[in-house]
Amino acid sequence: MRKCIETLILIFVFMFSLSINIKAEDTVELNSLIENAKQLDGQEVTVQGEAIGERMDRGDYSWVNINDGTNAMGVWLSKADAEKISYYGNYKDKGDTVKITGTFNRACVEHGGEADLHNSSIIIVQEGYTVNEQISIVKIMITIILVAFASLSLLIYFKFSHKVFTTNK
Amino acid sequence: MYKFRRVYSIEIISYYTGYIVLAIAGLMIIPLITSLAFKEWNPMLDFMISCAIALIVGLTLILLGIKTKEGQSNFQWKHGFSIAALSWIVLTMISAIPYTLSGNSKSFLDSCFDVMSGFTTTGLVLLQDLDHVSNGLNMWRHMLTFIGGQGMVVLALTLLVKKTSGAYKMYVGEGKDIELLPNVKGTTRQIWKISMVYLAVGTTALWIIGMLIGLQPVSAFFHALYIFESSWSTGGFAPNTQNIMYYHSVSYEMAAMVIFIIGSFNFGLHYAIWQGKRKEIIKNIEIQSFFITSFVACTLALIGLAKLKVYPDAIAGLRRVIFNVLSAHTTTGFGSIYARQFALEWGDFGVLIMIAVMLIGGSACSTAGGFKGLRVGIVFKGLLMEVKKLLSSERSMKVYKYHHIKDYVLEDSLIKSSAIIILCYTVTFFVGTLLGTYYGFSFLDSAFESASVTGNVGLSIGVTTPSMPAVMKIYYIIAMYLGRLEFLSVFALIGYIGGGIKKVCVNVLKH
Repeated sequence: MRKCIETLILIFVFMFSLSINIKAEDTVELNSLIENAKQLDGQEVTVQGEAIGERMDRGDYSWVNINDGTNAMGVWLSKADAEKISYYGNYKDKGDTVKITGTFNRACVEHGGEADLHNSSIIIVQEGYTVNEQISIVKIMITIILVAFASLSLLIYFKFSHKVFTTNK
Repeated sequence: MYKFRRVYSIEIISYYTGYIVLAIAGLMIIPLITSLAFKEWNPMLDFMISCAIALIVGLTLILLGIKTKEGQSNFQWKHGFSIAALSWIVLTMISAIPYTLSGNSKSFLDSCFDVMSGFTTTGLVLLQDLDHVSNGLNMWRHMLTFIGGQGMVVLALTLLVKKTSGAYKMYVGEGKDIELLPNVKGTTRQIWKISMVYLAVGTTALWIIGMLIGLQPVSAFFHALYIFESSWSTGGFAPNTQNIMYYHSVSYEMAAMVIFIIGSFNFGLHYAIWQGKRKEIIKNIEIQSFFITSFVACTLALIGLAKLKVYPDAIAGLRRVIFNVLSAHTTTGFGSIYARQFALEWGDFGVLIMIAVMLIGGSACSTAGGFKGLRVGIVFKGLLMEVKKLLSSERSMKVYKYHHIKDYVLEDSLIKSSAIIILCYTVTFFVGTLLGTYYGFSFLDSAFESASVTGNVGLSIGVTTPSMPAVMKIYYIIAMYLGRLEFLSVFALIGYIGGGIKKVCVNVLKH
């Protein structure tokens, strides 16, 4: 029985460590690409991040910038692939989370020495959405109080400066 | 008959500082309207709160020094320098409020860091999640760097105060000393006129390029405005995390580069060219100094990086090296490579060249930082003069001159004062480097970042992050502040405060 439990624990530990490795190998952080640029240059990698800003079309291709929380990088992809992205991150929107598999270039020959990714496949992991802006009541109250104080200060200033001006004459 | 009362120095300083704070309160209306236009309600409230606080603080300071208005105030140099130095501290704190309220800043210290970075046209950023920052806050960030570059103290005073008897002293206190017109009001208005014309032309050019490279018309306009403001003021802020790399466009980079090179030139030179004196471009000591140092630095960097085989071909090398070296030299701080690529790929030689050009900086009385080309030129000519004197006969009396808008005699006192300022910058840089190494950063990384803050550049090698020690953040704020105001104003303020404390202590001891 003891042996059986030990074997089960070992199998569990082995599977757990394997799953971590697979997960780690699955996607690469953008900062890791920069930190290990020389080793990863020209290799196929998979990154996952939020599409940000907006799509910039250049003929049949497009530039899409993605941010994975560690850094942001430009992805060069076909216009047809880029059109799959519906939301781009900005103040009002949470952009689509995309998984990009493509070639990492430390200093891309095609794009004037830029560090970029040339996409070979794109998966929309999670569709973005418009963020519902919450306005705090406390903030509104503070604004009203401060605006009232500022108006009062203006009133005092005009009265006081007028008084100084007339008494000096 | 007017009745005059004696006005104390503190009242004069308080009165004018109050007006400058009021000007900032007025300027906050622009991001407030931007937020309103984009229906960004939280940022709109943030700016309403900040504007109200600025108004209350400004009016209180004016009321504290109201006697200055009608009293017989004897406006001295110490007042001008102290007002300039104090205003920058007060404005930094007030302008940091919208940053903190936005939730994009981790602490108030980080907000103050970003504001000082904007005001001093440095361009280092601690703001988090830049890609989700509101249009209102982005407008504010870029406005700060644009106004900071031209000089906000004198702008405020020339717009708000009728009798600017001490305006020239405040103008000099803010690190500018060129006289385009006989009076300071005319000079500052001319500076703003030049900047506004370039703003219209530069923004239009970038707007068109932006649309051609795939940006939507409205967003292309705001990107153009922000990048112009950053380039012209040699600031280096951009609305997205990737800075200038966001656009993936050589034409956008070229346009920005032209703007930041022109922006790093002396306003006196701009005015001379506007007046038809085109030969000034060739004759001016600063332009000569800038082109010589730029050429040498770019050539050396290209050779060094070619040896390391950093870039696959000449086009890539030229595009990355020239843009980044000139961005550093003009103290702009736009980066067309990732911060860590400097450390990991450019090698010690490339990093050292960047440090050197960041410290030299742009032109005096421009939006740029660093030692300034004029001072480097004067000290270099002074060195040549000394060598020539040693080699020539004792009987020969030769007058040495340099050309900067007009011919000036190269005097020992001028060489000495230029050398002192260069020494102050060097000491600030050295202390910053020392501090970086104390906190465990490598010597070159520390030196790179220290040169960037001292020269008000804004390029980073990866040291400036929200997680860096608070002591370093505070030191960098001080270094940016000292570098922008060129030390004298800050020393005057410290001297004034020190003198005041001494007086109080003596009075206490006497009683």
